[in-house]
Amino acid sequence: MRLSRRAREAAWSYLFLAPFLFTLGVFFLYAFLRTLYFSFTEYDLFAAPRWIGLENYRQLFGERLFLTALRNTILYSVVVTLSQTVLALALAVALNQKLRGLTFFRSLYYMPSITSSVVITLIFMWLFQRGGAINYLITVARQHGRTVLVFVALVAAAQFIQVVWERRRGLPARPLDPALLVVSLLVGLAGTWLLSTWVYQPAEGVAAQQINWLNTRRRWPAAWGAPIPLIAIMMLNIWTTAPTFMLLFLAGLQDVPRELYEAAAVDGATRWVAFTQVTLPHLQPVIFLVVTLGLIGTLQMFDQVAILGDQAPLESVITLAYYVYHWVFPGGAMPRVGLAAAGAVFLAILTLIVVLIQRWVLRAQ
Amino acid sequence: MAQTTPVAPSLQLTPDPDWIARRRWARAGLVYTLLLLLSILFMGPLLFATLSSLKDNPTEWPPSLTPHQLSPRNWVAAYRLGRQGGGSGWFGSFHPGHTLTMEVTYLVPAGSQEQMIQVAVPRRVPGAGAGAVRTGPFASDVAVVSPVEVIRREEREDGVAVTYRFSITNGSEDVVVDRVPLDVTKPQEYVLLDSTLPPNRVERRGRVHSWNNVTSGVIPYVFYNYHRVFTENYSRTTGRNLFLTWIGNSFLVAGIKVLSTLAFASLAGYALARMRFPGKNALFVFMLFSMMLPNQVLFISNYLVLRDGIFGLSRLWGGGSLLNTFTGLILSGLVGSSAVFIMRQFFISLPRELEESARIDGATPWQTFTRVVLPLAKPALGALTILTFQGAWNDFFWPLVVLTAPQDKFTLTVGLLSFRLTYGVAFDWGPILAGAVISAVPIIILFAVFQRSFVEGISFTGIKG
Repeated sequence: MRLSRRAREAAWSYLFLAPFLFTLGVFFLYAFLRTLYFSFTEYDLFAAPRWIGLENYRQLFGERLFLTALRNTILYSVVVTLSQTVLALALAVALNQKLRGLTFFRSLYYMPSITSSVVITLIFMWLFQRGGAINYLITVARQHGRTVLVFVALVAAAQFIQVVWERRRGLPARPLDPALLVVSLLVGLAGTWLLSTWVYQPAEGVAAQQINWLNTRRRWPAAWGAPIPLIAIMMLNIWTTAPTFMLLFLAGLQDVPRELYEAAAVDGATRWVAFTQVTLPHLQPVIFLVVTLGLIGTLQMFDQVAILGDQAPLESVITLAYYVYHWVFPGGAMPRVGLAAAGAVFLAILTLIVVLIQRWVLRAQ
Repeated sequence: MAQTTPVAPSLQLTPDPDWIARRRWARAGLVYTLLLLLSILFMGPLLFATLSSLKDNPTEWPPSLTPHQLSPRNWVAAYRLGRQGGGSGWFGSFHPGHTLTMEVTYLVPAGSQEQMIQVAVPRRVPGAGAGAVRTGPFASDVAVVSPVEVIRREEREDGVAVTYRFSITNGSEDVVVDRVPLDVTKPQEYVLLDSTLPPNRVERRGRVHSWNNVTSGVIPYVFYNYHRVFTENYSRTTGRNLFLTWIGNSFLVAGIKVLSTLAFASLAGYALARMRFPGKNALFVFMLFSMMLPNQVLFISNYLVLRDGIFGLSRLWGGGSLLNTFTGLILSGLVGSSAVFIMRQFFISLPRELEESARIDGATPWQTFTRVVLPLAKPALGALTILTFQGAWNDFFWPLVVLTAPQDKFTLTVGLLSFRLTYGVAFDWGPILAGAVISAVPIIILFAVFQRSFVEGISFTGIKG
């Protein structure tokens, strides 16, 4: 008997899908259900799991390490997502010009995000050593802080005078008029050079700032703040992902119709008004995508913690993802898979909430 | 709209074209300056790490941008010393009967007593890695150091510049050594002005200048840390060169994953895009769901599945646990949801006409797929190749769980972590940086060649964690 056409097509489809169904079934569906099951049991990887109901979840919210991990993860996600989004948006707006050679720079900026997290983390660990480049830059900034202030003040003064002058001549100069800014920068450079050679000497004898970034339990800015090693990881992650998001924003900015800006300019709108009334509403979907991607990515942060390892205290850097790993392979102690699974389920729910909120907002639009 | 007060047109001059053109030029200039500054910000750490991986001490203070390894004069000196030792100028060694001649110039500060320096070839174990256990013949056993002579004395404002000369001879009958470390002991106040080859370290509060290897030849001199990465790490079980093994493992795993992903993702993507079957929508939704799940949620069960040999199936072909095997590592990542998703999106965008005509001609779905659809999918498959390779090469978490011992089984990322544990204890950053740079090179080459695919891929799948 011949199969109907529809049945044959279905048979072929399942044949085509077989390898994918195998991985999806075994390594996702089964894995997820089993994690769910383990979270209700007591299990040490060897003896058979023992059902204990909701006990793991009850313990989870009483355990200090978990609460620390939760706190670190949320702090990390919020700070990194916010700052990389704002930074990426600011850079994209500044660079939104039709320029030659932009593709070249674009490739350069991708470099940090294509390199493996292991390589980037190792390089950052090295930069954050006591005698590392970060501390050196801080030392230099301390030594030349006054010079920088003088420079900024001179540039601002020169710009102000020029803008006032142009406006009195009746020309529509903006506060950050580029042609005037070039002149102001040159004036600032020359003025700073003259002042620092003739009038005052740069501060000398500033001690080398050998801040301990990694192996410390201190927090910043105060006891309620973020652990310093976590701040180092935050800087790392902002640095690797901001350029990629900037490129997403740039692509979005190219789609904003030019006429809208022209219309705003005719209406006499300032740059800021044009940005908030024209740019931001148009970029809303991109902003949403960037925030969601940022949140999902940061919630899963694991590699950096694992690579830092004993160079930083566990409590200062542990995240939810690492917490799960920590209780499955706790080194010397007995694995507590049930507790780890409960943490994993919690992490999955957190991720799911972010995704659902995104779906919901997109649908509402 | 915010309230704005337009300037009365009568008060405002219409700017002349020159005024506007000046602004355009100035803006372009400022934007390019900003682009350059950002390049320094985003590329700077990577370039500085690459530069510092050549240094004797990558955490020196203050950090310099000109390590002595970058000076051509020193390359010539290293080449000459390599030849004097009887080896090649590129990779030096120290052969019986050969003699090296070194000159060192110190400034003896005014008012300080002039003394003779002492030269010694110390018995030093190479490195701190796993290779430190593998010791060959020592240069200290065969080297004969000649008496030091003063060959030049030059009066200066701040003292006397004294040039010393000495030579080292391999006095053995038949022992070839691969490295000749050197220590010069001198009074603390002496300042080094010049030497045949610059010393690598200052020890004992400035009393000793120390060379790692004066017969290194050019390559191990310039790429000292890179040379260490390859020569100091040998497997304790098989004796194989660890770093080379890791590179090979990473290529092997990534290569197989690319092949399996290309095959299976295009098959599954095609089925999801074009064919009708029960449960299609549910499958699609679950696929999207699985793309969002963090690995850490799934790895507990996956670890156990591999440990038990996929429900005992591995016993069918005589295997036991799949932990610490590439089979296990690869099987669990045969094809990922995001790869299937990419292929599905691509196939949906293709016009249907060609497939329709193939079907009317009586082709089976398999024939349609291989003869009509796949040839059209080349661009998508290209992008998928790059993305999968990059993902597999950079993958850290899953190899970390699956591959724990022996070290021969590591992929490059897990190997780098073990590097960090071996060398990091002594804050010996040179080999760690060198290893990191080497492991980034394949991806950077791939990126330079196939930029477009990367850019498309990143906007497709979002960002890695």
